Amino acid sequence: MSTPDPSSELTRPPAAPTERLFRMVVESLPTGVVMVDRLGTIVLVNRETERLFGYKREELVGRSVELLVPGGLRAGRDVSGGHKDGSDISLEIGLNPIEAEEGVFVLASVIDIGSRTRAEAELRRSNEELERFAYVASHDLQEPLRTVSSYVQLLSRRYRDRLDADAVDFIDFAVGGVRRMQQLIEDLLAFSRVGTRGAPLVPTDMQTVFEGTLATLHAALEESNATVTADPLPAVVADAGQLAQLLTNLIGNALKFRGADPPRAHVGAERSGRLWTISVLDNGIGIAPEYFERIFVIFQRLHSREEYAGTGVGLAICKKIVERHGGRIWVESTPGHGARFSFTIPAATE
Amino acid sequence: MAIARPPIEILLVEDNAADVRLTIEALKDARVPNRLHVARDGVEALRMLKDATRATPRPDLILLDLNLPRKDGREVLQEIKQDDTLRHIPVVILSTSQADQDIAESYRLRANAFVTKPVEIDQFFAAVRSLEQFWLDVARLTRP
Repeated sequence: MSTPDPSSELTRPPAAPTERLFRMVVESLPTGVVMVDRLGTIVLVNRETERLFGYKREELVGRSVELLVPGGLRAGRDVSGGHKDGSDISLEIGLNPIEAEEGVFVLASVIDIGSRTRAEAELRRSNEELERFAYVASHDLQEPLRTVSSYVQLLSRRYRDRLDADAVDFIDFAVGGVRRMQQLIEDLLAFSRVGTRGAPLVPTDMQTVFEGTLATLHAALEESNATVTADPLPAVVADAGQLAQLLTNLIGNALKFRGADPPRAHVGAERSGRLWTISVLDNGIGIAPEYFERIFVIFQRLHSREEYAGTGVGLAICKKIVERHGGRIWVESTPGHGARFSFTIPAATE
Repeated sequence: MAIARPPIEILLVEDNAADVRLTIEALKDARVPNRLHVARDGVEALRMLKDATRATPRPDLILLDLNLPRKDGREVLQEIKQDDTLRHIPVVILSTSQADQDIAESYRLRANAFVTKPVEIDQFFAAVRSLEQFWLDVARLTRP
């Protein structure tokens, strides 16, 4: 068998395509093709049809189309078809009558919409389950942890003067461990709530949300002697509570990862088409490019706990919030020269 | 001004033994003499409230956990506030929940105060002290 020169096929006059070429086109279509005669007997199928229904073409040609579509061929979405293994498949079928010298035929194009719908439903269900699991697990973990914490602290409160230095150290480590675990659980809960406890996305005035954020951060701003400025902020389509959490986390990070100078942060807003790009620019310690992706992954940290407190959940929450709003989030930075975190969010006005 | 008072009778409705003991320990530090009675679920609490005896007299203050076996705190609260002989007793909800809806629901059912079970023991002892103050204020209002 010789390999055809594709250029010679293409330069041939369009009036003379070969039957072989037509067969190749039908065979390689990503859509199932089934041709039946006026009695509903299958006369032709392509490779995609074999894949969709699990039959070899020898098992189909000459048989009634009811084998594939019980009740007979009909056009429409969500037509129920039968796979060889006995399972149902959900099909979208389009029909075209063909009148040829040999008689009248019907050409059906068949697309499997079920596998996509099923995969989407499965993914949605598994995500919801995971979020529910995280929420329940975190909630139920809090209670015994609180008991451990309370009693270790009670020991310390009541017997501290009667214990030696080692015992006091041990208690402090135990209390420290419990606190850290409580923080992790709380953050995990906050992370899972983004998906499970979100409010509807509605037109929201970001300026108001931003001012609320400054009020929330008031103590931290005073303590770090920080300056936060902003462009006039737009109306966007958002869950106001989550938008506040997003801004609080980003501005909070600008204060937390500050350099030698008093922290400065500027919230910028720029519109392109239907989206606003909101950015938080700071003068902090910055981030090396190799970590630009990793910082958004849950529990990923770049510093020891002694240097900077935290559980590595803040930016993961930011990413989840932004994605829930249909946007994306990224960072630009040079180590030692601050960072700019930006995210996109749909505008509330045309 | 030291007026000799009979001890405050407190009913604690709590199923978690660790939390019962912690409350007992915190009340040991209290300035006001008190006697603590414990019901381990909602059904037992209502029985103790309705059949007061000398050993478990009708309390001056009820500390009520929300999540209880058999009959939960919300139902207990509702029954207390619907009972003419019990509704005057101040009820303080003790809960691990910080959920706004639990707090709102408790006040809707006419709880007198809501205390989130704190994570830090110093906060817990402070909360018990504030309960004491709360009771003294309430007592001043209801028993001139």
